[in-house]
Amino acid sequence: MDRMNRDAAVAIALLIMCGIFFWASFDIRQPDYGVLMPSTWPRIILAILTGLSLVYLFQSLTRPEETAEDNGSAREPGFMGWLSYWRNPLWCFALFFAYLLTLPVLGMLIGGISFVFLLLGVLGGWEPRKLALHSAIAVLSVGSMWALFTFGLGVILPPGVIFSPFG
Amino acid sequence: MIIDNIINAFAELATIKTVFLMLIGVAGGLVAGAIPGFTIAMAVVLTLPFTFGMPPAQGLATMVSVLVGGLSGGLMAGILTGIPGTPSSVATTFDGFPMTRRGEPGLALGIGVWSSFCGGIISAFLLVTLAPQLARVGLEFNPWDYFMLVMFALTITASLAGKNLVKGLIAGALGLLVRTIGEDEAAGVARFNFGNDALLQGFDFIAVLIGLFAFSQLLSDVRDPVQAKKSLMDKGSVKIRIEHRRAIYEVLKRWTIVVRSALIGVFTGILPGAGGSIANILAYDQARKTSKHPEKFGTGIPDGIIAPESSNNAVEGGALITMMALGIPGDVTTAVMLGALLIHDVVPSPTFIVEEPVLAYSIFIAFFVATFFMVGMQSFMLRVFVLVTRVPMYVLAGVILGFCGIGVFAIQNVEFDLWTLLWFGILGFLMRYFGFPLAPMILGVVLGNIAELNLARAFAITTDLTPFVTRPWSLFFLIVALYSAAYPWFQRERGKKAWTFYYPAMLLASVSVPMFMMGGTVRPTIGAVLVIGALYNFYTARKTHSGSSA
Repeated sequence: MDRMNRDAAVAIALLIMCGIFFWASFDIRQPDYGVLMPSTWPRIILAILTGLSLVYLFQSLTRPEETAEDNGSAREPGFMGWLSYWRNPLWCFALFFAYLLTLPVLGMLIGGISFVFLLLGVLGGWEPRKLALHSAIAVLSVGSMWALFTFGLGVILPPGVIFSPFG
Repeated sequence: MIIDNIINAFAELATIKTVFLMLIGVAGGLVAGAIPGFTIAMAVVLTLPFTFGMPPAQGLATMVSVLVGGLSGGLMAGILTGIPGTPSSVATTFDGFPMTRRGEPGLALGIGVWSSFCGGIISAFLLVTLAPQLARVGLEFNPWDYFMLVMFALTITASLAGKNLVKGLIAGALGLLVRTIGEDEAAGVARFNFGNDALLQGFDFIAVLIGLFAFSQLLSDVRDPVQAKKSLMDKGSVKIRIEHRRAIYEVLKRWTIVVRSALIGVFTGILPGAGGSIANILAYDQARKTSKHPEKFGTGIPDGIIAPESSNNAVEGGALITMMALGIPGDVTTAVMLGALLIHDVVPSPTFIVEEPVLAYSIFIAFFVATFFMVGMQSFMLRVFVLVTRVPMYVLAGVILGFCGIGVFAIQNVEFDLWTLLWFGILGFLMRYFGFPLAPMILGVVLGNIAELNLARAFAITTDLTPFVTRPWSLFFLIVALYSAAYPWFQRERGKKAWTFYYPAMLLASVSVPMFMMGGTVRPTIGAVLVIGALYNFYTARKTHSGSSA
């Protein structure tokens, strides 16, 4: 997808989002008091955002060279090329997502250590020497941060199922 | 009164714990600022979770220390590696790196450190003297004026933050929209929660900020698998000694550049949206234009280090002036500071300095003291910086992502905030990818409820819309907002279209109108000066235009 089409797609996505929010603004209850209704300000913003999105769509269709930005490096064509290009950010998102899903079970200490360890592995490699280094970094960094917040600042971080008897 | 406030603020900060935290803050800021890819704003954002359990003055002093350290940290990377640690030190590399290659890294670093120090001190002085004055002006503001001030801040940030004004404005509007999600503060009515109870509280501002800014930045840093495994310097020398004495002499010899650049920095900082990234280039450019040897710039001369480093340290003093006097953050970093104040239930406004003098002056004093700490710690942190530069980027990013999770949860002890972090991290990453600037969105999130609250207040007084154009300050902000919106267009067409010749004259003439409306003696006089300036500008523009079209 070239830049012009990509900008147009973003503009259309913004317009759809504006439509959804505008429709949702009718669900906002209107109280009997106050002059500025709770839906007025969001609708003003949505009207502005819709107008700007239309201008953006128009720009992307008529002046692609102005919105074109070089994002960089060579990317192989096809889905696999896309996947390979975005491999690292996708891993970060997926691992953070998994970290949040498992947080009630693993807790912040074990979950955090596992997250950092796995993330360092996928970003840096799985060679035996690196495995030892990554596990030490994960335990030390998350462990010290966890200890600082728990004992130093008195914040109760999620203990998870494993640590809950001690929590 | 001012002396009392300063003494009380000193007493508040003069505890071993606070001094220790400030030292750690400066050290952390110096390292964070020195690592390319880790911005000062990110360092300040990540400090926030640590400060929520501290007394307000102590927490803010720690954050100010990180900020001051970060502003000076960028010069280490820029001078030693040629890669600026932050966008605020881009111009420092132009002469700093050539001086290092010439075999004088100690002198280059010394000049950078002492220029930063001077810029910071000038800025701190102006902060203490100008902020209370600006706050007095702010007391004249009514809800219409405040609403328009927010609109101006968003418009100018959008026009300065990115290449495309429309994208900047969309980002600002998105920020405002995000802030409307959850319960309406005035009426307590649910908005855009789509049946989800967790959304009733709205998105936590800090989680949004860390997600949009820090999370997305880290993902961008590790996007390239090859670059992610690289460290900044494979072989760093720890034997560099900063040549303080010679550097002080070189800086003092060029005091006019220091003062001019610091003033450029302060006034760029006062302007919402224009931060250190603009100020350092402006100051460098001015130094070159006024130099007797402009051809020597870029070859490694002290002037080329002094100008950007004096200005980028002075920027935050300017941004703090607007934030503390008017409650309007000048950039992302001060937006975070505003968030820190809100966490401590302190709402910056024109009455802030009068109502919370000890806290306000604590910020002033912390800025001042941290500047001294910065000089003292620079030599030591240089060794730490060299060690950190050997760590591959992916390790730093992985550890900081892990910390983001703990830090965001710790603010409110709410798991939903972690999801907010993830979703806004993705959104920030996509926005970066599609070329949308993040600064207007962050300002939109910060200023959204201030704008709505003032609009509600204005409507509670009268539903008539004319005060937006009949009240002088409101009209003033409306005019500058319109002109700042047209600024990117002006820049693009400059010299090609006839109207661009008259743009500055039109701006001066338009701004004079609210000045005359304000009454009194001083402001109409300023208005008259503006009119004279407009006429002169019109005359010269006419000559240039007719000359170019002939």
